[in-house]
Amino acid sequence: MIGGNMKKTLSIIAILLMAALSLFANGQKEDNEKKTIVVWHCNTGVTGEAFDKIVESFNNGIGKEYGIEIDAIYQGKANDVLTKVKASDEDSLPDIAQMDATAAIDMNYSEYLALASDLPISTDAFLDSALSAYRSEKGLLALPFNASSLLFYYNKTLFDSLSLSVPKTLEEFAAIAPMLGQKSGDSVTRYAFAGVPTTYELTTFIGSQNGLSYIVDNKNGHTGTPTEVLFGKEGTYKEFLTKWKALYDTGYVGNITSGVSTEFASGRTASMLASSSNLTTVISSVDGAFEVGVAPVPMVNENATGGTAIGGGGLFAFNDHDNTVAVLEYLTSAEVQRFWAEATGYFPINKGTYESEEYLSFIEENPLFNIAPEYAMSSNPLLTNVWLPSAYQIYYSFQANIQKVTAENMNIDDAINEMVGVIEDALDSYAEQNIN
Amino acid sequence: MKNVLRLLLLTLLLIAIAFPVFYMVSTSFFSPADYRAEVSRFLPSKFSFDNYRIAFGQRYFSNYLVNSIATSLLTAFGRTMIVIMAAFAFSHLEFTGKKPLLIILLATLFVPQDALIYQNYSTVASLGLIDTYAAIVLPGLFSASQLILLYSAFSSLSRDYYDAGRIDGAKDISYIFRILIPLTQSIVITIILQSAVTAFNSYLWPLLVTNRPKARTIQIALSMMGFREEGKLGAEAASIVIVTTPFLVLLALGRKKINEALLKGGLSE
Amino acid sequence: MLTLTYMKRKENMKAYLFLLPSLALAATFLFYPLMKAFASSFLTISQSGKILGFAGFKNYTKLFSDSGFRNAALNTIKFIIFFVPLNTVLTLLAATLTRKKRKGTAIAEFIFASPIVISLSAYALIFKEMFRGRISIINRIFSSEINWLSDKVPAMFVLVFLGVFLDFGLDYLLLTSAFRSTDKNIIDAAKIDGADDRKIYFSIELPLIKRMLSATIFLALKDAIMISSPVIILTEGGPFRSTETIMFYYYIEAFKSGNRAVQNTLSVLMTLIFILSMAIYSRRRSGNEKRT
Repeated sequence: MIGGNMKKTLSIIAILLMAALSLFANGQKEDNEKKTIVVWHCNTGVTGEAFDKIVESFNNGIGKEYGIEIDAIYQGKANDVLTKVKASDEDSLPDIAQMDATAAIDMNYSEYLALASDLPISTDAFLDSALSAYRSEKGLLALPFNASSLLFYYNKTLFDSLSLSVPKTLEEFAAIAPMLGQKSGDSVTRYAFAGVPTTYELTTFIGSQNGLSYIVDNKNGHTGTPTEVLFGKEGTYKEFLTKWKALYDTGYVGNITSGVSTEFASGRTASMLASSSNLTTVISSVDGAFEVGVAPVPMVNENATGGTAIGGGGLFAFNDHDNTVAVLEYLTSAEVQRFWAEATGYFPINKGTYESEEYLSFIEENPLFNIAPEYAMSSNPLLTNVWLPSAYQIYYSFQANIQKVTAENMNIDDAINEMVGVIEDALDSYAEQNIN
Repeated sequence: MKNVLRLLLLTLLLIAIAFPVFYMVSTSFFSPADYRAEVSRFLPSKFSFDNYRIAFGQRYFSNYLVNSIATSLLTAFGRTMIVIMAAFAFSHLEFTGKKPLLIILLATLFVPQDALIYQNYSTVASLGLIDTYAAIVLPGLFSASQLILLYSAFSSLSRDYYDAGRIDGAKDISYIFRILIPLTQSIVITIILQSAVTAFNSYLWPLLVTNRPKARTIQIALSMMGFREEGKLGAEAASIVIVTTPFLVLLALGRKKINEALLKGGLSE
Repeated sequence: MLTLTYMKRKENMKAYLFLLPSLALAATFLFYPLMKAFASSFLTISQSGKILGFAGFKNYTKLFSDSGFRNAALNTIKFIIFFVPLNTVLTLLAATLTRKKRKGTAIAEFIFASPIVISLSAYALIFKEMFRGRISIINRIFSSEINWLSDKVPAMFVLVFLGVFLDFGLDYLLLTSAFRSTDKNIIDAAKIDGADDRKIYFSIELPLIKRMLSATIFLALKDAIMISSPVIILTEGGPFRSTETIMFYYYIEAFKSGNRAVQNTLSVLMTLIFILSMAIYSRRRSGNEKRT
């Protein structure tokens, strides 16, 4: 029965083969006039929708006027954008890529990056602390775009019903954890806290100690490629692990690494740590089931007064074309930053936004949105996120390390040595392969 | 008693294998509230097509499907043709260096392409092929295991047809299409099927060589739709249903033929 | 004489033309990258590909002392140990139960074959959902309270189950067709001799499909050694690096960390492991052939 159709099949094969040849023709090459500005981004969900609106309003407004169009391409998480950028060369790179601190060390040595400080954009209007997140010894690597800080999210309804206030320190937290949690028999039905800290959280937990501490030398890698780990010999990681272990030992901490927000929204954990950028998403997924509260992160001890580092992401440019600059200016303008902040929970990086009537009345109505910028601005401005090679591996190593200390009772000193070893190995390999 | 046990085992296994598909279809009708239910639900609280509307609303959905189908067909037919040509040369022609060339090609059986993905990525990138079908398809166009299958099938055929055809002055190409392929039909079909399925399922490679949404295949798109982060898990399930249904229908229609082909095909030896 | 060499040359040219695509592809996408990885594994190379110096065996010794690699190797071995037997038993069971055409086998066959058309990302995403958190549907079915994807051991099992589904369809089709292409006369003869079903199955049918069975086992082993994409979608190596496999580790180091030393040594190492397993398989296979 197939034999009868053989001729037909064969002609299809022939056509397909011809089509195959045509495939070698590449898609349209970028024109020199750069009418289309390609932006690779990592915004999804609520932030994705907000970003799409920002792009749309450019394309239908200013863009149309100047004949420029933004082509916004979602490439996955910030780290996935970096993976794509690292694998690309001049021809395949976008004009702009939105990435986070994990990209900084690679971008610092990228031959394709156009330094933001070399672009004809005045940074006077930008928050200093937001700029310092991207300042290296070479200059400004990127323009801040989506700035956020780490926040302590809590079930306010539950806290209020128990007349508990937000813990200021991890010790205080450990004291109230048994009240927040709930057990039925042996299994925990509600955790006091869910999640396992990793690089992002530790930048705050370690960084805030003694007013200012770094994870690695060279000011967390901002003034040069880091050469050694500091949290081991300075005892800051030990201080954190000791306090964290005590919290865990209350029996009400869930070592969950994925779907923590879902657990929080469904009331199965009383609190969690997350970026301020999740604010809108969290509120909408809780959907009124309880009141959401946010607060600064509990401190490791009384002396951990450094606050938090500004997280989130920035815009890395790969050429200094006028149209690229125009798009960057638009995305960081006071007006766009206001819309962006209100829609997501990122906070505005443009000083102008904080002066706008609309924004002021917005935060008055939605005070939760003002916690993050206040927290960030009251923090030590020298405390910045950490720039590390092999950031992805180190991220998961921290989680595994903390899991071993908490759930598997690994000796804290051994755990610290292990973690210092992992990071220093990564630093060594990087130094060896990237002597510049 | 033995029959009961057999039936019991069979039923359990069938339920286990079918369950993910059932759950996928069921959750594609879930409302966000259904996901938050205290006790996990088997069925949606009510049937609504909202999730399908969201799924179809994606800008590049049709691109993804077309790209996937096109690249897997190209791989399947392209690879089969290329391997047929090689198998024909080795089985029907006499030429200098035949043995060493055969050994060289068969040696690739021992080279795991998956472990060379970075090197191949840089080759494809330096050829400027990122975001083209060629990038997705090219590395998969040769297969040593399929060469072995076809070579042994072609070699076992009587050479009479070919020698007779040569006296008639018939061209090799028409001999391949009119005699060789029809005679080894079942193996050829098996190979085409196997290649199409593997190509359709490939994930990491197309992920690496496509940057623009328009060039992405459905495999990449499914995991990058962002519905999960939005809490629109139902829309994710709906997208999976939309993508999977045509292939389930094809399987239901073509299962008999596939079985026949496999029964006769080289793989069942 | 002259015409003969001319004929010969013509025949040569023709053959080379037919072989050209295969040779070009094999050279470009298999031999060249392998050679490049092999040579590079003895060099120190920067992320952007600049050669910085000769490294000797240092890249290899470093790889073997790398805690990340050791962890990944151990996880891959665990995966192989759980996956290959489970996959073999389940596919063989399914094929055995439906090898004879009876009433309703058509539907059963369709269901067992269906995983072949359900793609990797589709299954991975469904599994993520089926095994999500403590209130997952799987926990409801088995009234368990397992944190499937947040605890180390259960996460490995979810990955193994996913692996079984990904390979099930093809293995099932192959094994069923093997059962059905066995010589009916031998079975009939045994029946006449009074052998019961059980005996026929174990002493006649199973040995007859042994070659296909070993082929599917080999396919499963190959997939298990090389597993990476399901890990990327389902677990990203987590929780706590418990599902990072060697090839996932390769992907992270090559594309995320840009560590050329690990990347190239792993390419070479995995090729060696691959050759070794192929060699063991083909030796066993030729051994089997001699016996039959």
